Amino acid sequence: MISRRGLFTAAAGVGATAVLASCGRLSGEQTAAAPAPAAGPIFFGVSAPLSGASAEYGKIWRTGFDLALDEINGAGGVKGRKIELLWEDTQSDQKQSVPVAQKFAGDSRILAELGDFASPASMAASPVYEKAHLVQFGFTNSHPDFTKGGEYMWSTSTTQQDHAPELADLAKSLGTKQAVYYINTDWGKTTWKLYEEHAKKSGYEIVHSEAVQADGSDFRPSLINGRDKGADVLVFIAYYQAAALLTQQAKNVGLAQAKIALPSSAYSPQYVALGGEATEGAQLIVRFHPGDPRPQVREFVDKYQKRYGKQPDDFGAGAYDALKILAWAVEHSDGTREGVRKALLEGKEIPSLLYGPFSFREDRRVTTPKSTRLVVKGGAFTLVGA
Amino acid sequence: MTVLEVQGLRRSFAGLRAVDGVSFGIDQGEVVSVIGPNGSGKTTALNLVSGVLRPDEGRVLFQGRDVTGLRPERLAEAGLSRTFQNGRVFGNLSVAENVLIGLTPTLRAARPLARWRDIPVLRWLSLLAETAVALVDPPSVRRELAEREAEVESQLDRFGDRLRPRAEAAAHTLSYANRRRTEIARALASGPALLVLDEPTAGMNPVETAEVLEQLLALKAAGQTILLVEHKIDLVMRLSDRVLVLDAGTVIASGPPDEVRNDPRVIEAYLGKRRPAVRP
Amino acid sequence: MLDTALAGLVNGSSYALLALGLSLIFGVANVINFAHASVFAVGAMSGWWFSVDLGWPLWTVLLGVMAVTGLLGLVINLVAVTPLAKAPPIAALLSTFAVSVVVDNGAQLVFGPETRRFPALLATDNLGLGGLRFGTLDVTILAVAIGLMLVLGWFLRATRYGRAIRAVAQDRDAAAQMGIPLARVQNLAFVVASVLGGVAGVLGGMYLNNISPTVGSTVGMSAFAAATLGGLGSLPGAVAGGLLLGVVEAFGVSWWGGNARTLITFAVLLLVLWVRPSGLFGKRSPLAAEPMTGTFFGAARTVRLRPWQVAVAAVAAYVVPAVALDDYTVQIGVQVVVYAILALSLTLVSGQAGQISLGQAAPLAIGAYTSALLTTGTGLDFWLSLPISGLVAAVLSVALVSPSWRLRGHYVSIATLATGLLVAAAAVNFDWLTNGPSGVSAIPPPTLFGAPVSAPLAVYFLDLTILLVVLLLVVRLRRSTLGRIWSAIREDEVAARSSGIAAAEYKSLAFGIGGFVAGIGGALFAQQYGYIDPSVFGISVSLLALTIVVLGGLNSPLGAVVGAIVLVGLPEALRMLEETRMLTYGLLLLAVVLFRPQGLMGKVAR
Ligand SMILES: Nc1ncnc2c1ncn2[C@@H]1O[C@H](COP(=O)(O)OP(=O)(O)O)[C@@H](O)[C@H]1O
Ligand SMILES: [Mg+2]
Repeated sequence: MISRRGLFTAAAGVGATAVLASCGRLSGEQTAAAPAPAAGPIFFGVSAPLSGASAEYGKIWRTGFDLALDEINGAGGVKGRKIELLWEDTQSDQKQSVPVAQKFAGDSRILAELGDFASPASMAASPVYEKAHLVQFGFTNSHPDFTKGGEYMWSTSTTQQDHAPELADLAKSLGTKQAVYYINTDWGKTTWKLYEEHAKKSGYEIVHSEAVQADGSDFRPSLINGRDKGADVLVFIAYYQAAALLTQQAKNVGLAQAKIALPSSAYSPQYVALGGEATEGAQLIVRFHPGDPRPQVREFVDKYQKRYGKQPDDFGAGAYDALKILAWAVEHSDGTREGVRKALLEGKEIPSLLYGPFSFREDRRVTTPKSTRLVVKGGAFTLVGA
Repeated sequence: MTVLEVQGLRRSFAGLRAVDGVSFGIDQGEVVSVIGPNGSGKTTALNLVSGVLRPDEGRVLFQGRDVTGLRPERLAEAGLSRTFQNGRVFGNLSVAENVLIGLTPTLRAARPLARWRDIPVLRWLSLLAETAVALVDPPSVRRELAEREAEVESQLDRFGDRLRPRAEAAAHTLSYANRRRTEIARALASGPALLVLDEPTAGMNPVETAEVLEQLLALKAAGQTILLVEHKIDLVMRLSDRVLVLDAGTVIASGPPDEVRNDPRVIEAYLGKRRPAVRP
Repeated sequence: MLDTALAGLVNGSSYALLALGLSLIFGVANVINFAHASVFAVGAMSGWWFSVDLGWPLWTVLLGVMAVTGLLGLVINLVAVTPLAKAPPIAALLSTFAVSVVVDNGAQLVFGPETRRFPALLATDNLGLGGLRFGTLDVTILAVAIGLMLVLGWFLRATRYGRAIRAVAQDRDAAAQMGIPLARVQNLAFVVASVLGGVAGVLGGMYLNNISPTVGSTVGMSAFAAATLGGLGSLPGAVAGGLLLGVVEAFGVSWWGGNARTLITFAVLLLVLWVRPSGLFGKRSPLAAEPMTGTFFGAARTVRLRPWQVAVAAVAAYVVPAVALDDYTVQIGVQVVVYAILALSLTLVSGQAGQISLGQAAPLAIGAYTSALLTTGTGLDFWLSLPISGLVAAVLSVALVSPSWRLRGHYVSIATLATGLLVAAAAVNFDWLTNGPSGVSAIPPPTLFGAPVSAPLAVYFLDLTILLVVLLLVVRLRRSTLGRIWSAIREDEVAARSSGIAAAEYKSLAFGIGGFVAGIGGALFAQQYGYIDPSVFGISVSLLALTIVVLGGLNSPLGAVVGAIVLVGLPEALRMLEETRMLTYGLLLLAVVLFRPQGLMGKVAR
């Protein structure tokens, strides 16, 4: 029988050998990924919530992606090759988005990545993509720090910096005493901070502000607070579900007369569908709306409507646009991961559904054109003043 | 010298007076038995004495010290060991380990700084020291453990070939009688000043009962002070110096066994109004 | 003021409806039914389907939903609870959790994940009182909750089956000896409770306006708190607990803001448990009943490996990933290792000392935040932050759990559950300390010999080494006198105390050491991702940790490692399933709990 000590010494020895043998993989540097195959389909990884609480956004993404894929591949693909997506479910949870990033990074067929949905899930995975020199296209990641994660982090999402002041201006135009409710997520909090900054500078009067739970169901006690402070305009910094609930419950606590102002993330036909009559008269600022007369938008909306039987929302349009932009970048690259980044960096007049021809700023974001104001009228979104 | 002195104990459960003003004392080397019909409060009285329950009223003095409301572990450390009516062994531990647990109050090296246990924050120094000792396992602890294991052997020997061959078996594999034996061995292991037994022969056949009686007589001969709750009158009569009779939570009679046995109140309490045929 | 109280009452009555069912099931089957919230969701979703897609009127909708959820309740009992009657109670709890994963994800597949509007079958704002508008619906919910409580009370008192349920609730063994058909009574209780859950789903759906297949989880935890608050097993307690919690939450939110709701819910629950260990209406016997056959904590022995086998496994754990696995798999390996460390902390607390903790994410979070804040905020070196993280986690664990030592059985688990949720809620709310929902980012990687440890393989080696140290620690503790003392507490606390063991102190010590280990795991966790936020430390982490330990064999340190490999690896191995991944995971989880309740590394004793 071998002694215990002997065993452990042997174990340590073999362990040390293994450590030495794998020295290259221990240092932070990524060994260059195998070159991408030059034929066969081109792959993009999608890191998305397909199950869990955010699953519905993953589903909306799929509508936009599928539509774009059909268009691109129907027209012969990119560089004569079809584009395919590799989906991975992360539940938008950083515990899962990091290994998924590792998986994509190690898959040499993948030229770029789309997602994740929530900024925290994306940001946790950023170091992996950065090391693998793989573009992480976080097209819904509005966190100001997301694209600061590295050279390979790109986004077409509006940042809260642009958006929050516009929202405050919208609210100001609707009333004098603002009550602001923001969902208690990183996004909600950041938007609120920027909102408050702008409102203070501009001398707007905020009579009440409160963080509410993103997945909450009963907001009445919070809304009563705003009512008792005499608010005449309510701002809901939230996604459409919470925004719809807040809107309905505002009526219940006797805030029927107060005007409602919403950010573009609440923009979805679902907002009206969920909120019902209470949403009548609510105003939003959006970067995309299906009523936009630009021919490109008309064509997209028609196709979307025909295929899915409903109007696209911000997330559907964003997904469609993101995939098309990446396809454009591949087309204008040498077919490598690095090439995709270069194309995005150097591209002028990149075609886009949301922004028209644009180029990325130095911080790898897009300068958002002035947003459009919409109002809910007769159960539909219409341009203010139309 | 008085080992245990109980004064006016009371305890009720949701209005029911389970123990209603019980007083008695036990002297060094005495065996005192408590008898009474089912539900008369015997077990509750033992629970109050051993700290498992707190009395609503009354006092318990153990070796001259007021221990009323003291937690059971403190009483055990002070030298009061007990068994339970239905037998409580540690099912997934072996018989030997069960008995070893009974020796916990006697451990010194494995439980350093035990005196600090009563001081709120400093108690943690003692607990951490115990952890450190457990991790390091120094020779002093190993030596102590070897001594205690020898002690366990001798406790098991008391029950002869009932427990010896099963020393390494998990307690839940034992027969009912063997579990009771294991429990008694565990209670005796630390050499308690007072041994409290709640129906130690319940569920045993006559042969096994006779065996327990012999063992208890031997303990008594060795000077062990015992407080016993028991239904089997023969055993009580042979073993006890004094007998206490409980009914509805009160002591209705007490004295030497012969006297108590012929007390009409006792007969009535046990058998209702009918005239019993008391066995000789 | 009046408005706020009223809003709280209305909200609380939806908690009360759910709490009634939870309490009934607990009373009869002695099981905390984690699937009850899923029944609620199924009720809401099928109610939506009946009324919107099929266009049924309210009465038929209700009947249809009652049929669906009643059947679901029966299936849950037959599949997940009854087969585990003889396993340790924790097995049934975990199997209902697995069922909830299956049902939630199944509903997501059947109905689609999107949020939808529940049709207002009853008016919602036709009435007014003091500025608050409310409707027939709100009054109906309150009336239904109280009405059902009364009807159920009558049913339990006056009917034959009702009396049978009560008899079983009071004393299972005695009831069985009296010839009461246990199996049928338990089925009945599940059906009745689930029918109530379904009705709650329809009314709750109307009340919440918007529903989705995961709607149960938000209301579920509050309802669970309400049932415990009122006293598990007590029907008036369930209703009173629900209403009280609703009102307390409403005022809490009114004063401290909407994001404080969860914090309030579980702080209130913990405080109530500390003061009244059986809830407001719960009956508590002053002494745990003397068992008729001795108490056996899952009679199982663990498989023991020989030293050379352990050594080979350890070496392989270093060598194989280095030479044969890609970075993705190694990354999964890192997660396996961190979960194994977390699970080992539970092996001590739950396996060794017998205190089933449903909140081990708490020390993990505390450790992670301590290390993250120290290394980013004060620039402290990771290696110094590591023991500090463990210490802080240990001290806070003990401080939060110690007041619960008067609790027994399931209540201990519930207190730990509340602790876990409380810590996560605190991380959301204590902005000044934790940066709230934004989390802590740019956590620097540890350095070793001057080089940063950030490549997956390097992190893996580091974490694995710490895992092996922890493993050694746990094994040594188990074999010591201290380990034997913990075992005695686990097996029978009353007997242990009467043998001179100060149970409360040793339980605290177990939580302290467990907290230290989990805190270390947390620090590794934070460095591994470089970014943490409160959502990472949800209840699913606590439940996963416990499932790992149960799967591995509660009392087997090696089992914790094996369990982590299986349960952390499984969802990754199932990746190709995309949308059905979590559903399959839930089914496998259920199968594991059902067919190996003694764990992979546990042998059933003779
Ligand atoms: N923990 C308890 N809770 C409620 N009632 C109890 C409890 N323990 C004992 N009782 C009641 O107190 C009375 C005395 O019980 P006990 O002391 O066990 O009697 P004995 O041991 O003499 O049979 C009985 O009526 C019993 O039902
Ligand atoms: Mg008794």
